Amino acid sequence: MSPQVIVDGLVAGAMIGLGATGVTLTYSILRFANFAHGEFIAWGAYFALAVSGFLGALAPALTAPIGPFSFGWSLPIAALAAIALTAALALLVDALLFGSLRAKNSAIIIMVMASFGAALTLRNLLEFIFTSSPAYYAEGLQMALRFAGVRATPDALLCLVIAAIIVIALHAVIAHTAIGRAMRAVSENPQLAAIVGIDSRKIVRLVWILGAGLACLAGVMAGLIVQIRPTMGLDLLLPLFAAAILGGIGSAMGAMLGGLIIGLAESLTVALAGGEWRAAVAFVILVAILLLRPHGLFGRS
Amino acid sequence: MIAQSLPPLALEARGLIAGYERDLPIVRGVNLSVRVGEFIVLLGPNGAGKSTLVKAIVGLVPIHEGAVLLNGDDITVAPPHQKIGRGLAFVPQTENIFTTLTIEDNLLLAADVIPKPVRARRIAELYAMFPDLAAQPSRPAKLLSGGQRQMLAVARALVVQPSLLILDEPSAGLSPKIVAEVFGRLKAINATGVTIVLVEQNVKAALAVAGRAIILVEGEARHEASALELADDPIIAELYLGAARARS
Repeated sequence: MSPQVIVDGLVAGAMIGLGATGVTLTYSILRFANFAHGEFIAWGAYFALAVSGFLGALAPALTAPIGPFSFGWSLPIAALAAIALTAALALLVDALLFGSLRAKNSAIIIMVMASFGAALTLRNLLEFIFTSSPAYYAEGLQMALRFAGVRATPDALLCLVIAAIIVIALHAVIAHTAIGRAMRAVSENPQLAAIVGIDSRKIVRLVWILGAGLACLAGVMAGLIVQIRPTMGLDLLLPLFAAAILGGIGSAMGAMLGGLIIGLAESLTVALAGGEWRAAVAFVILVAILLLRPHGLFGRS
Repeated sequence: MIAQSLPPLALEARGLIAGYERDLPIVRGVNLSVRVGEFIVLLGPNGAGKSTLVKAIVGLVPIHEGAVLLNGDDITVAPPHQKIGRGLAFVPQTENIFTTLTIEDNLLLAADVIPKPVRARRIAELYAMFPDLAAQPSRPAKLLSGGQRQMLAVARALVVQPSLLILDEPSAGLSPKIVAEVFGRLKAINATGVTIVLVEQNVKAALAVAGRAIILVEGEARHEASALELADDPIIAELYLGAARARS
Protein backbone atom coordinates (compact mmCIF):
# COMPACT_ATOMS: atom_id res chain seq x y z
CA MET A 1 0.00 0.00 0.00
CA SER A 2 1.67 3.22 -1.15
CA PRO A 3 1.69 6.26 1.15
CA GLN A 4 -0.52 8.11 -1.37
CA VAL A 5 -3.18 5.39 -1.17
CA ILE A 6 -3.10 5.66 2.62
CA VAL A 7 -3.50 9.45 2.63
CA ASP A 8 -6.33 9.35 0.06
CA GLY A 9 -8.03 6.61 2.07
CA LEU A 10 -7.69 8.49 5.35
CA VAL A 11 -9.17 11.69 3.88
CA ALA A 12 -12.15 9.83 2.39
CA GLY A 13 -12.43 7.74 5.56
CA ALA A 14 -12.54 10.78 7.84
CA MET A 15 -15.48 12.12 5.87
CA ILE A 16 -17.27 8.75 6.00
CA GLY A 17 -16.40 8.39 9.68
CA LEU A 18 -17.89 11.76 10.58
CA GLY A 19 -21.15 10.89 8.83
CA ALA A 20 -21.11 7.40 10.37
CA THR A 21 -20.72 8.92 13.84
CA GLY A 22 -24.05 10.68 13.32
CA VAL A 23 -25.60 7.43 12.05
CA THR A 24 -24.37 5.46 15.05
CA LEU A 25 -25.65 8.05 17.54
CA THR A 26 -29.13 8.26 16.06
CA TYR A 27 -29.32 4.50 15.56
CA SER A 28 -28.35 3.75 19.17
CA ILE A 29 -30.91 6.14 20.68
CA LEU A 30 -33.78 6.05 18.17
CA ARG A 31 -33.32 2.33 17.45
CA PHE A 32 -33.91 2.41 13.73
CA ALA A 33 -31.72 2.82 10.67
CA ASN A 34 -32.41 6.33 9.43
CA PHE A 35 -31.97 6.20 5.67
CA ALA A 36 -32.59 9.94 5.50
CA HIS A 37 -29.24 10.57 7.21
CA GLY A 38 -27.53 10.86 3.83
CA GLU A 39 -29.98 13.64 2.95
CA PHE A 40 -28.92 15.60 6.04
CA ILE A 41 -25.38 15.40 4.62
CA ALA A 42 -26.52 16.81 1.28
CA TRP A 43 -28.77 19.46 2.85
CA GLY A 44 -25.92 20.48 5.16
CA ALA A 45 -23.63 20.93 2.18
CA TYR A 46 -26.22 22.99 0.30
CA PHE A 47 -27.12 25.07 3.36
CA ALA A 48 -23.42 25.96 3.66
CA LEU A 49 -23.29 26.71 -0.09
CA ALA A 50 -26.31 29.00 0.09
CA VAL A 51 -25.15 30.85 3.21
CA SER A 52 -21.56 31.26 1.98
CA GLY A 53 -22.88 32.49 -1.37
CA PHE A 54 -25.07 34.99 0.45
CA LEU A 55 -22.18 36.12 2.66
CA GLY A 56 -19.92 36.38 -0.39
CA ALA A 57 -22.45 38.60 -2.17
CA LEU A 58 -22.84 40.70 0.96
CA ALA A 59 -19.12 41.09 1.69
CA PRO A 60 -16.91 39.90 -1.22
CA ALA A 61 -13.82 40.17 1.00
CA LEU A 62 -15.04 37.11 2.91
CA THR A 63 -14.49 34.93 -0.16
CA ALA A 64 -10.76 35.70 -0.35
CA PRO A 65 -8.91 32.41 0.35
CA ILE A 66 -7.56 31.94 3.86
CA GLY A 67 -3.85 31.05 3.69
CA PRO A 68 -3.29 27.87 1.66
CA PHE A 69 -6.97 26.88 1.67
CA SER A 70 -9.36 27.18 -1.27
CA PHE A 71 -12.07 29.02 0.66
CA GLY A 72 -12.53 32.30 2.46
CA TRP A 73 -14.03 33.08 5.87
CA SER A 74 -17.49 32.92 4.33
CA LEU A 75 -17.33 29.09 4.37
CA PRO A 76 -16.46 28.46 8.06
CA ILE A 77 -19.13 30.99 9.07
CA ALA A 78 -21.60 29.40 6.65
CA ALA A 79 -20.72 25.94 7.96
CA LEU A 80 -21.67 26.99 11.49
CA ALA A 81 -24.97 28.40 10.25
CA ALA A 82 -25.51 25.25 8.16
CA ILE A 83 -25.03 23.06 11.24
CA ALA A 84 -27.82 24.97 12.99
CA LEU A 85 -30.05 24.82 9.89
CA THR A 86 -29.47 21.08 9.36
CA ALA A 87 -30.22 20.43 13.04
CA ALA A 88 -33.43 22.44 12.67
CA LEU A 89 -34.31 20.41 9.56
CA ALA A 90 -33.75 17.14 11.45
CA LEU A 91 -35.94 18.35 14.34
CA LEU A 92 -38.61 19.37 11.84
CA VAL A 93 -38.57 15.94 10.15
CA ASP A 94 -38.75 14.32 13.60
CA ALA A 95 -41.66 16.52 14.66
CA LEU A 96 -43.58 15.90 11.42
CA LEU A 97 -42.78 12.25 10.87
CA PHE A 98 -40.75 10.14 13.29
CA GLY A 99 -42.12 11.72 16.47
CA SER A 100 -45.71 10.85 15.65
CA LEU A 101 -44.69 7.30 14.67
CA ARG A 102 -42.82 6.93 17.99
CA ALA A 103 -45.90 8.14 19.85
CA LYS A 104 -47.87 5.31 18.22
CA ASN A 105 -45.17 2.80 19.18
CA SER A 106 -44.70 2.01 15.49
CA ALA A 107 -42.64 -1.02 14.53
CA ILE A 108 -39.02 -0.47 13.52
CA ILE A 109 -39.76 -1.42 9.92
CA ILE A 110 -42.36 1.37 9.75
CA MET A 111 -39.76 3.87 10.99
CA VAL A 112 -37.24 2.60 8.42
CA MET A 113 -39.79 2.85 5.60
CA ALA A 114 -40.73 6.34 6.76
CA SER A 115 -37.06 7.31 6.63
CA PHE A 116 -36.93 6.08 3.02
CA GLY A 117 -39.87 8.34 2.25
CA ALA A 118 -38.25 11.26 4.04
CA ALA A 119 -35.01 10.64 2.10
CA LEU A 120 -36.81 10.67 -1.26
CA THR A 121 -38.69 13.85 -0.38
CA LEU A 122 -35.64 15.68 0.93
CA ARG A 123 -33.46 14.62 -2.03
CA ASN A 124 -35.99 15.64 -4.65
CA LEU A 125 -36.66 18.90 -2.88
CA LEU A 126 -32.94 19.63 -2.97
CA GLU A 127 -32.78 18.85 -6.69
CA PHE A 128 -35.84 21.03 -7.27
CA ILE A 129 -34.29 23.99 -5.46
CA PHE A 130 -30.63 23.70 -6.53
CA THR A 131 -30.89 21.57 -9.76
CA SER A 132 -28.81 18.43 -10.21
CA SER A 133 -25.75 20.28 -11.56
CA PRO A 134 -22.68 19.89 -9.36
CA ALA A 135 -21.66 22.93 -7.32
CA TYR A 136 -18.43 23.96 -5.56
CA TYR A 137 -17.56 26.12 -2.57
CA ALA A 138 -14.62 27.61 -4.47
CA GLU A 139 -13.91 27.59 -8.19
CA GLY A 140 -10.16 28.14 -8.10
CA LEU A 141 -7.63 25.32 -8.35
CA GLN A 142 -5.76 24.44 -5.20
CA MET A 143 -2.12 23.36 -5.23
CA ALA A 144 -1.48 20.12 -3.41
CA LEU A 145 1.22 20.01 -0.73
CA ARG A 146 3.98 17.45 -1.23
CA PHE A 147 5.79 15.63 1.53
CA ALA A 148 7.67 12.32 1.34
CA GLY A 149 6.28 11.63 -2.11
CA VAL A 150 2.69 12.10 -1.00
CA ARG A 151 0.35 14.78 -2.28
CA ALA A 152 -2.59 16.19 -0.37
CA THR A 153 -4.47 19.47 -0.61
CA PRO A 154 -4.54 21.73 2.46
CA ASP A 155 -8.36 21.43 2.40
CA ALA A 156 -8.14 17.63 2.70
CA LEU A 157 -5.62 17.82 5.54
CA LEU A 158 -7.81 20.35 7.35
CA CYS A 159 -10.78 17.99 7.02
CA LEU A 160 -8.71 15.19 8.55
CA VAL A 161 -7.75 17.36 11.53
CA ILE A 162 -11.29 18.66 12.07
CA ALA A 163 -12.75 15.14 11.90
CA ALA A 164 -10.21 13.88 14.45
CA ILE A 165 -10.88 16.77 16.86
CA ILE A 166 -14.65 16.40 16.61
CA VAL A 167 -14.69 12.64 17.15
CA ILE A 168 -12.32 12.87 20.14
CA ALA A 169 -14.45 15.67 21.63
CA LEU A 170 -17.65 13.71 21.02
CA HIS A 171 -16.17 10.60 22.59
CA ALA A 172 -15.14 12.65 25.64
CA VAL A 173 -18.66 14.09 25.96
CA ILE A 174 -20.30 10.66 25.68
CA ALA A 175 -17.84 8.95 28.03
CA HIS A 176 -17.30 11.58 30.70
CA THR A 177 -20.22 13.97 31.02
CA ALA A 178 -23.65 13.76 32.61
CA ILE A 179 -25.39 14.25 29.28
CA GLY A 180 -23.25 11.50 27.72
CA ARG A 181 -24.13 9.20 30.62
CA ALA A 182 -27.82 9.96 30.07
CA MET A 183 -27.43 9.22 26.35
CA ARG A 184 -25.79 5.88 27.10
CA ALA A 185 -28.54 5.09 29.60
CA VAL A 186 -31.35 5.86 27.14
CA SER A 187 -29.51 3.83 24.50
CA GLU A 188 -29.30 0.79 26.79
CA ASN A 189 -32.73 0.88 28.41
CA PRO A 190 -35.11 3.79 27.69
CA GLN A 191 -37.72 2.56 30.21
CA LEU A 192 -35.23 2.34 33.07
CA ALA A 193 -33.80 5.70 32.04
CA ALA A 194 -37.27 7.23 32.44
CA ILE A 195 -37.61 5.70 35.91
CA VAL A 196 -34.25 7.18 36.86
CA GLY A 197 -35.56 10.60 35.92
CA ILE A 198 -34.23 11.12 32.39
CA ASP A 199 -36.59 12.83 29.96
CA SER A 200 -35.92 10.71 26.88
CA ARG A 201 -37.57 13.34 24.63
CA LYS A 202 -34.76 15.75 25.49
CA ILE A 203 -32.16 13.11 24.70
CA VAL A 204 -33.88 12.32 21.39
CA ARG A 205 -33.81 16.01 20.44
CA LEU A 206 -30.15 16.30 21.43
CA VAL A 207 -29.28 13.24 19.36
CA TRP A 208 -31.04 14.66 16.29
CA ILE A 209 -29.10 17.90 16.74
CA LEU A 210 -25.77 16.09 17.15
CA GLY A 211 -26.44 13.64 14.32
CA ALA A 212 -27.56 16.34 11.91
CA GLY A 213 -24.66 18.62 12.91
CA LEU A 214 -22.16 15.85 12.21
CA ALA A 215 -23.94 15.04 8.92
CA CYS A 216 -23.70 18.70 7.93
CA LEU A 217 -19.97 18.78 8.64
CA ALA A 218 -19.47 15.59 6.63
CA GLY A 219 -21.43 17.22 3.80
CA VAL A 220 -19.31 20.38 3.87
CA MET A 221 -16.16 18.24 3.83
CA ALA A 222 -17.45 16.14 0.93
CA GLY A 223 -18.34 19.36 -0.90
CA LEU A 224 -14.89 20.77 -0.23
CA ILE A 225 -12.95 17.67 -1.25
CA VAL A 226 -15.17 16.35 -4.05
CA GLN A 227 -18.23 18.35 -5.13
CA ILE A 228 -21.76 19.20 -4.02
CA ARG A 229 -24.61 17.25 -5.63
CA PRO A 230 -28.16 16.47 -4.47
CA THR A 231 -27.31 12.74 -4.57
CA MET A 232 -24.09 13.08 -2.54
CA GLY A 233 -25.81 11.76 0.59
CA LEU A 234 -27.31 8.81 -1.22
CA ASP A 235 -23.89 7.88 -2.61
CA LEU A 236 -22.42 7.98 0.91
CA LEU A 237 -25.23 6.05 2.58
CA LEU A 238 -23.84 2.52 2.17
CA PRO A 239 -20.30 3.44 3.35
CA LEU A 240 -21.84 5.32 6.32
CA PHE A 241 -23.90 2.36 7.50
CA ALA A 242 -21.05 -0.06 6.83
CA ALA A 243 -18.73 2.14 8.95
CA ALA A 244 -21.28 2.53 11.77
CA ILE A 245 -21.93 -1.22 11.94
CA LEU A 246 -18.24 -2.06 11.56
CA GLY A 247 -17.40 0.24 14.48
CA GLY A 248 -20.26 -1.07 16.60
CA ILE A 249 -23.56 0.79 17.02
CA GLY A 250 -23.31 3.44 19.72
CA SER A 251 -19.54 3.91 19.55
CA ALA A 252 -18.39 7.28 18.16
CA MET A 253 -14.75 6.21 18.06
CA GLY A 254 -15.81 2.92 16.48
CA ALA A 255 -17.72 4.73 13.74
CA MET A 256 -14.71 6.90 12.96
CA LEU A 257 -12.41 3.87 12.92
CA GLY A 258 -14.95 2.06 10.73
CA GLY A 259 -14.99 5.06 8.39
CA LEU A 260 -11.20 5.11 8.16
CA ILE A 261 -11.10 1.35 7.46
CA ILE A 262 -13.68 1.71 4.70
CA GLY A 263 -11.93 4.77 3.27
CA LEU A 264 -8.61 2.91 3.21
CA ALA A 265 -10.21 -0.22 1.74
CA GLU A 266 -11.88 1.86 -0.99
CA SER A 267 -8.63 3.68 -1.76
CA LEU A 268 -6.70 0.41 -1.94
CA THR A 269 -9.33 -1.22 -4.14
CA VAL A 270 -9.31 1.72 -6.56
CA ALA A 271 -5.50 1.52 -6.76
CA LEU A 272 -5.44 -2.24 -7.29
CA ALA A 273 -8.62 -3.04 -9.21
CA GLY A 274 -9.91 0.24 -10.62
CA GLY A 275 -12.46 2.91 -9.71
CA GLU A 276 -15.46 0.86 -10.82
CA TRP A 277 -14.97 -1.42 -7.79
CA ARG A 278 -15.10 1.39 -5.21
CA ALA A 279 -18.85 1.08 -4.60
CA ALA A 280 -18.57 -2.66 -3.91
CA VAL A 281 -16.08 -2.26 -1.05
CA ALA A 282 -18.50 -0.94 1.60
CA PHE A 283 -21.06 -3.56 0.61
CA VAL A 284 -18.58 -6.43 0.96
CA ILE A 285 -17.37 -5.11 4.32
CA LEU A 286 -20.96 -4.67 5.52
CA VAL A 287 -21.89 -8.25 4.59
CA ALA A 288 -18.68 -9.61 6.13
CA ILE A 289 -19.14 -7.77 9.44
CA LEU A 290 -22.79 -8.80 9.69
CA LEU A 291 -21.81 -12.43 9.16
CA LEU A 292 -18.69 -12.51 11.32
CA ARG A 293 -19.15 -9.93 14.08
CA PRO A 294 -22.62 -8.33 13.95
CA HIS A 295 -21.98 -6.17 17.02
CA GLY A 296 -18.98 -4.62 15.31
CA LEU A 297 -15.55 -3.79 16.67
CA PHE A 298 -16.65 -1.85 19.77
CA GLY A 299 -20.38 -2.56 20.02
CA ARG A 300 -22.30 -4.51 22.65
CA SER A 301 -22.87 -8.15 21.80
CA MET B 1 -60.63 9.86 66.80
CA ILE B 2 -58.52 6.89 65.69
CA ALA B 3 -58.46 8.09 62.08
CA GLN B 4 -56.96 11.41 63.17
CA SER B 5 -53.96 9.69 64.68
CA LEU B 6 -53.13 7.76 61.51
CA PRO B 7 -50.24 8.99 59.40
CA PRO B 8 -51.23 10.70 56.11
CA LEU B 9 -51.54 8.73 52.90
CA ALA B 10 -48.30 8.29 50.97
CA LEU B 11 -49.93 6.54 48.02
CA GLU B 12 -53.51 6.16 46.98
CA ALA B 13 -54.98 4.38 43.97
CA ARG B 14 -58.64 5.02 43.26
CA GLY B 15 -60.56 2.66 40.98
CA LEU B 16 -57.48 2.00 38.90
CA ILE B 17 -58.04 0.29 35.56
CA ALA B 18 -54.80 -0.27 33.69
CA GLY B 19 -53.17 -2.48 31.07
CA TYR B 20 -51.30 -2.35 27.80
CA GLU B 21 -54.57 -2.63 25.83
CA ARG B 22 -57.66 -0.61 26.72
CA ASP B 23 -59.92 -3.53 25.85
CA LEU B 24 -57.94 -6.00 27.94
CA PRO B 25 -57.22 -4.34 31.28
CA ILE B 26 -55.03 -6.35 33.62
CA VAL B 27 -55.71 -4.16 36.66
CA ARG B 28 -59.48 -3.95 37.06
CA GLY B 29 -60.59 -1.32 39.51
CA VAL B 30 -57.99 -1.47 42.26
CA ASN B 31 -58.34 0.74 45.33
CA LEU B 32 -55.20 0.99 47.39
CA SER B 33 -54.16 3.15 50.35
CA VAL B 34 -50.66 3.18 51.76
CA ARG B 35 -49.82 5.38 54.72
CA VAL B 36 -46.55 7.20 55.29
CA GLY B 37 -43.97 4.88 56.85
CA GLU B 38 -45.82 1.67 56.05
CA PHE B 39 -44.19 -1.45 54.58
CA ILE B 40 -46.79 -3.05 52.34
CA VAL B 41 -46.44 -6.27 50.40
CA LEU B 42 -48.60 -7.00 47.35
CA LEU B 43 -49.22 -10.71 47.07
CA GLY B 44 -51.14 -12.85 44.67
CA PRO B 45 -50.79 -15.70 42.21
CA ASN B 46 -49.00 -15.34 38.89
CA GLY B 47 -51.01 -13.20 36.49
CA ALA B 48 -52.90 -11.43 39.29
CA GLY B 49 -51.74 -8.06 38.00
CA LYS B 50 -49.29 -7.13 40.79
CA SER B 51 -46.46 -6.02 38.51
CA THR B 52 -48.87 -4.28 36.14
CA LEU B 53 -50.39 -2.38 39.07
CA VAL B 54 -47.06 -0.99 40.26
CA LYS B 55 -45.92 -0.27 36.71
CA ALA B 56 -49.16 1.67 36.14
CA ILE B 57 -48.53 3.65 39.34
CA VAL B 58 -44.99 4.43 38.17
CA GLY B 59 -46.22 5.39 34.69
CA LEU B 60 -44.87 2.50 32.62
CA VAL B 61 -48.28 0.97 31.85
CA PRO B 62 -51.20 3.07 30.54
CA ILE B 63 -53.93 3.92 33.08
CA HIS B 64 -57.36 3.88 31.44
CA GLU B 65 -59.49 4.89 34.41
CA GLY B 66 -59.02 5.94 37.99
CA ALA B 67 -56.40 8.06 39.72
CA VAL B 68 -53.06 7.74 41.49
CA LEU B 69 -52.20 10.16 44.27
CA LEU B 70 -48.73 10.55 45.74
CA ASN B 71 -48.70 12.42 49.05
CA GLY B 72 -52.10 13.82 48.07
CA ASP B 73 -50.99 15.06 44.61
CA ASP B 74 -52.59 13.58 41.52
CA ILE B 75 -49.80 11.94 39.49
CA THR B 76 -52.04 9.81 37.25
CA VAL B 77 -50.86 11.29 33.96
CA ALA B 78 -47.36 12.42 34.98
CA PRO B 79 -44.64 10.75 32.88
CA PRO B 80 -42.27 8.40 34.78
CA HIS B 81 -39.31 10.80 34.68
CA GLN B 82 -41.31 13.42 36.57
CA LYS B 83 -42.48 11.06 39.30
CA ILE B 84 -38.96 10.52 40.58
CA GLY B 85 -38.76 14.24 41.36
CA ARG B 86 -41.94 13.92 43.43
CA GLY B 87 -40.44 11.28 45.68
CA LEU B 88 -41.45 8.03 43.97
CA ALA B 89 -38.67 5.56 43.22
CA PHE B 90 -39.13 2.21 41.51
CA VAL B 91 -36.97 -0.91 41.27
CA PRO B 92 -38.16 -3.12 38.38
CA GLN B 93 -37.91 -6.90 38.62
CA THR B 94 -35.46 -7.31 35.74
CA GLU B 95 -33.14 -5.00 33.83
CA ASN B 96 -33.08 -2.70 36.85
CA ILE B 97 -29.53 -1.41 36.43
CA PHE B 98 -27.56 -0.10 33.46
CA THR B 99 -25.17 -2.94 32.73
CA THR B 100 -23.07 -0.91 30.30
CA LEU B 101 -22.30 1.66 33.01
CA THR B 102 -20.08 1.29 36.07
CA ILE B 103 -21.50 1.10 39.60
CA GLU B 104 -20.56 4.74 40.14
CA ASP B 105 -22.12 5.86 36.86
CA ASN B 106 -25.37 4.08 37.76
CA LEU B 107 -25.50 6.10 40.97
CA LEU B 108 -24.33 9.35 39.36
CA LEU B 109 -27.01 9.00 36.70
CA ALA B 110 -29.69 8.80 39.37
CA ALA B 111 -28.03 11.70 41.22
CA ASP B 112 -28.37 14.01 38.21
CA VAL B 113 -31.90 14.91 39.34
CA ILE B 114 -30.86 16.05 42.84
CA PRO B 115 -29.09 19.37 43.58
CA LYS B 116 -25.39 19.31 42.65
CA PRO B 117 -23.99 20.25 46.09
CA VAL B 118 -25.57 17.22 47.79
CA ARG B 119 -24.79 14.59 45.15
CA ALA B 120 -21.36 13.51 46.42
CA ARG B 121 -22.59 13.37 50.03
CA ARG B 122 -25.62 11.30 49.06
CA ILE B 123 -23.54 8.80 47.09
CA ALA B 124 -21.09 8.54 50.01
CA GLU B 125 -24.04 7.77 52.31
CA LEU B 126 -25.19 5.02 49.96
CA TYR B 127 -21.70 3.55 49.74
CA ALA B 128 -21.73 3.44 53.56
CA MET B 129 -25.10 1.67 53.42
CA PHE B 130 -23.94 -0.77 50.71
CA PRO B 131 -20.23 -1.49 51.36
CA ASP B 132 -20.12 -4.11 48.59
CA LEU B 133 -20.70 -1.34 46.06
CA ALA B 134 -18.19 1.01 47.68
CA ALA B 135 -15.44 -1.56 47.31
CA GLN B 136 -15.52 -1.41 43.53
CA PRO B 137 -17.17 1.77 42.24
CA SER B 138 -15.55 1.63 38.81
CA ARG B 139 -16.58 -1.97 38.19
CA PRO B 140 -18.89 -2.41 35.17
CA ALA B 141 -22.34 -3.31 36.48
CA LYS B 142 -22.60 -6.23 34.06
CA LEU B 143 -19.96 -8.06 36.12
CA LEU B 144 -21.99 -7.96 39.35
CA SER B 145 -23.67 -11.01 40.88
CA GLY B 146 -27.47 -11.24 41.13
CA GLY B 147 -27.47 -10.05 44.74
CA GLN B 148 -25.08 -7.20 44.04
CA ARG B 149 -27.25 -6.12 41.11
CA GLN B 150 -30.30 -5.93 43.36
CA MET B 151 -28.30 -3.96 45.92
CA LEU B 152 -27.18 -1.54 43.20
CA ALA B 153 -30.76 -1.24 41.93
CA VAL B 154 -31.99 -0.43 45.44
CA ALA B 155 -29.11 1.98 46.05
CA ARG B 156 -29.81 3.65 42.70
CA ALA B 157 -33.46 4.11 43.70
CA LEU B 158 -32.47 5.55 47.08
CA VAL B 159 -30.15 8.22 45.64
CA VAL B 160 -33.02 10.70 45.39
CA GLN B 161 -34.10 10.01 48.99
CA PRO B 162 -37.59 8.93 47.90
CA SER B 163 -40.56 9.13 50.23
CA LEU B 164 -42.02 6.03 48.55
CA LEU B 165 -40.01 3.07 47.28
CA ILE B 166 -41.75 0.48 45.10
CA LEU B 167 -39.97 -2.79 44.35
CA ASP B 168 -41.10 -5.49 41.93
CA GLU B 169 -39.99 -8.91 43.13
CA PRO B 170 -36.47 -8.08 44.27
CA SER B 171 -36.01 -11.69 45.44
CA ALA B 172 -36.44 -13.17 41.95
CA GLY B 173 -33.54 -15.43 41.07
CA LEU B 174 -31.69 -14.91 44.34
CA SER B 175 -30.58 -17.55 46.85
CA PRO B 176 -32.42 -17.61 50.23
CA LYS B 177 -29.37 -16.14 51.96
CA ILE B 178 -29.20 -13.18 49.59
CA VAL B 179 -32.99 -12.73 49.78
CA ALA B 180 -32.70 -12.45 53.57
CA GLU B 181 -29.94 -9.85 53.13
CA VAL B 182 -31.93 -7.82 50.59
CA PHE B 183 -35.09 -7.90 52.72
CA GLY B 184 -33.09 -7.01 55.83
CA ARG B 185 -31.86 -3.91 54.00
CA LEU B 186 -35.41 -3.05 52.97
CA LYS B 187 -36.56 -3.30 56.57
CA ALA B 188 -33.72 -0.99 57.63
CA ILE B 189 -34.63 1.47 54.85
CA ASN B 190 -38.26 1.42 55.98
CA ALA B 191 -37.10 2.12 59.53
CA THR B 192 -35.60 5.40 58.29
CA GLY B 193 -39.11 6.57 57.32
CA VAL B 194 -39.26 5.50 53.66
CA THR B 195 -42.65 4.01 52.75
CA ILE B 196 -42.22 0.71 50.92
CA VAL B 197 -44.52 -1.16 48.56
CA LEU B 198 -43.14 -4.56 47.71
CA VAL B 199 -44.48 -6.93 45.06
CA GLU B 200 -43.46 -10.45 45.96
CA GLN B 201 -43.91 -14.12 45.14
CA ASN B 202 -41.70 -15.14 48.04
CA VAL B 203 -44.58 -14.96 50.51
CA LYS B 204 -42.81 -16.20 53.62
CA ALA B 205 -39.87 -13.83 53.34
CA ALA B 206 -42.10 -10.88 52.42
CA LEU B 207 -44.55 -11.38 55.28
CA ALA B 208 -41.60 -11.57 57.68
CA VAL B 209 -40.58 -7.97 56.90
CA ALA B 210 -43.82 -6.26 55.81
CA GLY B 211 -46.37 -4.71 58.13
CA ARG B 212 -49.45 -5.20 55.97
CA ALA B 213 -50.27 -7.37 52.99
CA ILE B 214 -52.70 -6.80 50.14
CA ILE B 215 -53.74 -9.73 48.01
CA LEU B 216 -54.49 -9.22 44.34
CA VAL B 217 -56.46 -11.78 42.36
CA GLU B 218 -57.44 -11.35 38.71
CA GLY B 219 -56.61 -7.67 38.76
CA GLU B 220 -58.59 -6.84 41.88
CA ALA B 221 -57.53 -6.22 45.48
CA ARG B 222 -59.45 -9.04 47.18
CA HIS B 223 -58.11 -9.03 50.70
CA GLU B 224 -55.85 -7.14 53.03
CA ALA B 225 -54.59 -7.91 56.49
CA SER B 226 -51.62 -7.40 58.73
CA ALA B 227 -48.65 -9.52 57.70
CA LEU B 228 -48.78 -11.33 61.02
CA GLU B 229 -52.43 -12.31 60.57
CA LEU B 230 -51.88 -13.44 57.01
CA ALA B 231 -48.80 -15.48 57.83
CA ASP B 232 -50.92 -17.59 60.19
CA ASP B 233 -54.01 -17.80 58.02
CA PRO B 234 -54.04 -21.15 56.18
CA ILE B 235 -57.36 -20.46 54.47
CA ILE B 236 -56.14 -17.25 52.86
CA ALA B 237 -52.92 -18.93 51.84
CA GLU B 238 -54.81 -21.81 50.29
CA LEU B 239 -57.28 -19.58 48.51
CA TYR B 240 -55.02 -16.93 47.07
CA LEU B 241 -51.41 -17.93 47.18
CA GLY B 242 -51.57 -21.56 46.13
CA ALA B 243 -48.35 -22.60 44.52
CA ALA B 244 -46.51 -19.52 45.70
CA ARG B 245 -47.13 -20.54 49.31
CA ALA B 246 -46.00 -24.09 48.60
CA ARG B 247 -42.79 -22.85 46.96
CA SER B 248 -41.85 -20.66 49.86
